[in-house]
Amino acid sequence: MKAPRSGIGSLLAAPAVLYMVVFFVVPSLMLFVYSFWTAASYKIVPAFVFSNYLNSLMSPLFWTVTINAILIGLVTASITLVLAIPVGYYLVYVSRSQVILYLILITWFSSYLVRIYAWRTLLGTSGVLNTILLQAGIVDTPVGVFLFSRFAVAITLIHIYLPFCILLVVSSLSEIKKDLVDAARDLGASPLGAFFRVIAPNAANGLVGAFMLTFVMVAGDYVTPQMLGGSSGQTTGLLIADQFRKTGNWPLGAAQAFLMFLVSIAIYFAVMGLGRATGLVVKRRPAKKAGV
Amino acid sequence: MVLRLVVWSILAFLLMPLVIIILFSFHATPSLSFPFAGFSLRWYAEVLGNAQLGSALVKSLTVAGFTALITLVLGAAASLAWLRLGQGGRALLEVLCLTPIALPGLFVGVSLLVLFAQASVQLSTVTIVISHVVLALPILIVAMRARLALFDPSLEEASRDLGASQMQTFGKVTLPLIAPTLIASAILAFAVSFDEFVVTSFVAGTETTLPMYIWSMMRRTVTPLINAISSLALVFSIVILFIAWLIGHLRRRSAVASRTVS
Repeated sequence: MKAPRSGIGSLLAAPAVLYMVVFFVVPSLMLFVYSFWTAASYKIVPAFVFSNYLNSLMSPLFWTVTINAILIGLVTASITLVLAIPVGYYLVYVSRSQVILYLILITWFSSYLVRIYAWRTLLGTSGVLNTILLQAGIVDTPVGVFLFSRFAVAITLIHIYLPFCILLVVSSLSEIKKDLVDAARDLGASPLGAFFRVIAPNAANGLVGAFMLTFVMVAGDYVTPQMLGGSSGQTTGLLIADQFRKTGNWPLGAAQAFLMFLVSIAIYFAVMGLGRATGLVVKRRPAKKAGV
Repeated sequence: MVLRLVVWSILAFLLMPLVIIILFSFHATPSLSFPFAGFSLRWYAEVLGNAQLGSALVKSLTVAGFTALITLVLGAAASLAWLRLGQGGRALLEVLCLTPIALPGLFVGVSLLVLFAQASVQLSTVTIVISHVVLALPILIVAMRARLALFDPSLEEASRDLGASQMQTFGKVTLPLIAPTLIASAILAFAVSFDEFVVTSFVAGTETTLPMYIWSMMRRTVTPLINAISSLALVFSIVILFIAWLIGHLRRRSAVASRTVS
């Protein structure tokens, strides 16, 4: 009975698995192989050299833009998570408001480019924010630094990825029963105390996951920094993307993509280490793991 | 009630830029600042008269339609497989689906570009659809997983015990149970494809989808025309979301109804 069932299962899963292997796994491996090839006068030559990695690691530009990407990523992912937690908490423990949920989904599904454009018009020198500040008499001349600054990049990225982060927080908080929170409150914990001493330790893995996914998305986003960051906005993503335009050096871009990937993994371990050191992240007990 | 205030402020932050875009799409002058000089539909009239924009929209609808269809077929088979697979098979599907979701679009885009270049595939509408399915299929399977966790396999066994063939069981028991979630997920796939920009920019070649057209406009100049296009795109997203919600809502109602009958 069991064998034919799983036989049919494998057959049914085959098309989807095959599709993802051919169009996701194989291309990723090819990109990895590419990172060891060389490019000479716009022609890509198979080889096995580490120069793409070494040249990137020794280039000051690469470090500047990578540190920029990491900083933007850490700052915006932190703020995004901090904003997502109260909304997630409210949705899970206070009111399962369909209205709020759908308002969040609408912003999530509103076009990516439209939101970048919206912030450009909001923050521009003749934009809405400056007009309000001028009319209120808070400033005398339009503030130019709103646009084309790290501030503009950060606020736009937070706006773009906050709905996504809220949904991740909601799903990780949903695993923690309301009874636990109620018990803590009955025993005299303040709402914030209940959050830090009951919810956070239990949801730590989920929250770290939400932070990391947001970080990867934000640090890899090169369109927002390009449109709103001005000269200070160049990130590794933009550097990589430019290598894959017609005149670029594809193997170099491939190596930089994998270096960015390694950086993300390193940051993941750093965040987990920090979590363990501060006692927020606890290794899951085996009993709990069986349920997951 | 501090929490409620915080939550609504955050929602206001999320919604405010969209509201302002819609507001200024009706502005009578090209200015993008207050005071508001009066309402007009001139930008919408210009959008409707723009032939390039129309063809970009048709391109995006075509790509999204094919993406949703292919994703639906592959995803439906994978969902049925999910019910029959052991731990190992499920783990394989999960890894294949969760990894692309957790990677930036840039990585997926350049990998596919390398694949197409290496296989000497001309970049075209077909390569756009292929790439969009890579993004949409994992989302559909992850969305289905939550629904399938509630699926009771004894229903299929009961049907077989009562003499139904494998095909009959599939058509009359399994498919009707998972169809609403499948269709809602396919609509999600449509929405993902319709809005996709980063991956598309690598694999589109000379083709222009709606987001790529908006991008080229954004780079050239700040024109109020983009406000009108954006507002239309936003309304379109809300309609898609509403349809997906409606399907889910009807499913829940019919589920409740069938429970009261039995």
